[in-house]
Amino acid sequence: MNGTESGVLNTVERYYKNYGLRAKELKAEGKKIIGYMCSFVPLEMITAAGCIPFRVRGNIHEPITTGDTLLETIVCPYYRSCFDLSTKQKYDFLSGLVIPHGCDSMVRSYSAWSYALPFSYFHFVNIPTVCDDSSFEFFRAELDTFRKSLETFAGKAITEKDLAQAIRVHNENRDKARALYDLRKADPPLISGTELTRVLTVGSSLPITEANALFDHVLAEIGRREKSPLKKGARILIDGACLDNIELIKLVEELGGNVVADTLCNGARDSLPRTDVGGDPLKALAGRYLGKINCPKTYRKNKAGTFEGDMTSRFGDIGAYAKEFKVDGAILYVYKYCDPFGFEVPARKAYYKSIQVPLLHLEDVYSAGTMGQLKTRVQAFLEMIG
Amino acid sequence: MAEEQREAKPKKRMTATRAAASIGPLVKEFITGTIQARAEGKQKLAYTFIVCHHEEILRAMDVLPVWTENFAGICGAKRDAERFLQRAESLGLSRSLCTYALCGIGFDQWREELGEMPPNAPWGGQVRPDFMISTGQILCDPRSKWYQASQQFMPDVPIYNMDLPYPMFQRDRDHRDVWNYYHTYLVKQLRGLVAFVEEQTQKKMNYDRLRELVDLSDRTWNLMDETYKLRAAVPCPMGTGDAMNTMVPICFMMATQKAHDFFVDLKKELEDKIAKKEGEVENEKYRLMWGGGLPAWYALNDFNYFNSKGASFPVETTYRMVAPLDQMDIPETKDPIEHLAWRWLGYWTFWYDKAKKRPGSEPDVERLINWIEEYKIDGVVMHEAFSCRTWHVGLIWQLHQLSKIYKPIPLLMVGKDGKKEKVFRELPSLILESDIIDITSYSEVDTRNKIDAFIDTLDSIRVNRAA
Repeated sequence: MNGTESGVLNTVERYYKNYGLRAKELKAEGKKIIGYMCSFVPLEMITAAGCIPFRVRGNIHEPITTGDTLLETIVCPYYRSCFDLSTKQKYDFLSGLVIPHGCDSMVRSYSAWSYALPFSYFHFVNIPTVCDDSSFEFFRAELDTFRKSLETFAGKAITEKDLAQAIRVHNENRDKARALYDLRKADPPLISGTELTRVLTVGSSLPITEANALFDHVLAEIGRREKSPLKKGARILIDGACLDNIELIKLVEELGGNVVADTLCNGARDSLPRTDVGGDPLKALAGRYLGKINCPKTYRKNKAGTFEGDMTSRFGDIGAYAKEFKVDGAILYVYKYCDPFGFEVPARKAYYKSIQVPLLHLEDVYSAGTMGQLKTRVQAFLEMIG
Repeated sequence: MAEEQREAKPKKRMTATRAAASIGPLVKEFITGTIQARAEGKQKLAYTFIVCHHEEILRAMDVLPVWTENFAGICGAKRDAERFLQRAESLGLSRSLCTYALCGIGFDQWREELGEMPPNAPWGGQVRPDFMISTGQILCDPRSKWYQASQQFMPDVPIYNMDLPYPMFQRDRDHRDVWNYYHTYLVKQLRGLVAFVEEQTQKKMNYDRLRELVDLSDRTWNLMDETYKLRAAVPCPMGTGDAMNTMVPICFMMATQKAHDFFVDLKKELEDKIAKKEGEVENEKYRLMWGGGLPAWYALNDFNYFNSKGASFPVETTYRMVAPLDQMDIPETKDPIEHLAWRWLGYWTFWYDKAKKRPGSEPDVERLINWIEEYKIDGVVMHEAFSCRTWHVGLIWQLHQLSKIYKPIPLLMVGKDGKKEKVFRELPSLILESDIIDITSYSEVDTRNKIDAFIDTLDSIRVNRAA
């Protein structure tokens, strides 16, 4: 990828609009591109195997058609869109696909994916639902199975040294993502939510070293900005699952808000937690993906014995981001049919109330067709919080 | 909020067997039993879920399970779920989520707010538990989230969330390559449950009693399998409508002598019916399989409607949550906890080897194919419940795979005498759409029109074959 610093945001936009462009080039060069869904897939393993991890995206502008011939409409709409695009050969440059135990939609549709798509490699990574000591031991063993499976596919051994190196470059990426997030602390922020979402999304479609170079260019370009291109406005945190497009964030920003923080899978949930270095790399990966990815799918014991204590333990990251990024209000954006997030809505609402952050809860269906309705509700919310 | 609004009482479904008819009072008895136990305070009560292979542990420690899915199903069957669903919605929970869970959470929140049972609670209502046992399995996110959500309204009630994974079917892998570490994990999770229950009850586990109860369950599993295999008889002596009643001993009474005795009686009843050639339907014309999906509990009469058209249901995949233990390739052990873990793995991987041998198959599809042949099935009926991804996602794909095998054209097959013969293998399917307990998603007229059209299809296939 050859983005010069001055034009790097244009490059990002080009890669965002033509998602997978670079992966296609790499495929033509003989590289193996492994698609993945969800934040639970240990990317370091794919990189260590000499393959390129590529996050499969949906498209809210594309009506779901062929996907519905094989998969029920009660599946998470984001996931349905990803499946639909895959069945329409949008991702035919992939050599394989890895799906983790992220939610029922992923588990129940695994057979449909693996039979409907012509990839030569499929693997399912079983993620524990709880966080006991035995869960980490089990997950380490499951990651070892993933390693062996990838070794067979890639035709190369994945050594501890390979894993340690992959962990290092992926951690670099997380440090750079953190630096990009820090640019949002200014008021108005130096980087818009729309720009950051594009950068992170494009990053998840590139080899990790190229993503790191891209992030460096973006940091340099934004760093040269003498003043923010944005106006002061309500500072908004977006809370939710996978939001792999800019539409909602753009809508908030067009209405005068500034998106300065998030807990999204395609954002802070996935991009910020580091993997521990030194020691057993598989254990470190188990620690990151089970212990540090704060997804509602993972049950964390209520150690406090009170609802307030449980909320602080489960949603403390939201409070920390709200404080760090001086958030004025939050949007809890949940997809219809999403059981892991859906069941948390009352508790999350209570948590926002407890930290005195005004909240707008939106349930949506991953379609551009709902943007008009969302606009009315977001506008009213921004007016309400002033 | 329509808190007092209730639907008209549904017409009672006609059962084919005495055993199925005996279930209603039995369920009522154990719901009222939990209320009585709560009042007496002698036994600890635990909210929990079916099909977790943990009943033996609970019963060995004298814990009374409160089956929350069962109570939601009762609310649905009595057409009295709507007021609890609306209450859950008012808390911010979407109607698109599992409606069993919504019903339960709505009920819990209401009971906790009142400090007593909501007015006219079905069969007296669902009691406040002493603790809750969730299960994070490879399937069913709501099982892990439901009690956590309920805990908002009863924060003093602790949860033990037991992880029960099993290896997913992967065609290029032998599940036995990985199941040792699955077993190790399952054993630790089950032992964690024992420790949790010991702490809650202040009693120590009696492992001799546990061993006896595990043995009793194993014998019930095998007996149940033998009993249900009798339904392959022509005419079929008992259909899926009845099986939606006889699921009660399987799912809610396992590890009790009563469940075992129930199947002794049912087996005898079916043998008598077979001897007398007495079918579920007087003149059996079609043999259908309930190929997937939980039933619409408020519309079980639809099974009678199928029966009125000469259609019987000799087999169903739903709630047949047991498999013959002697056909499971699991190691012997004297440790009951280790056995429970092996039985769990054995059950979930039961169809894996067979599925690998057939191109295009996978375990759920393989089970359908085997039972289509074993029970001489003419068509498959499935139900898509909009609120449940656990049991309903993948059904379309399974039918898609089935259609590759059962094509609407004659096939050349090797007959019994070794000669090739032309065989019609067409297998029509019907997908009904509504929900498990949300009656607002159901239309009796539409459903019965679909059934009529399906029966017409079965008729025309039969005519074409004869021609």
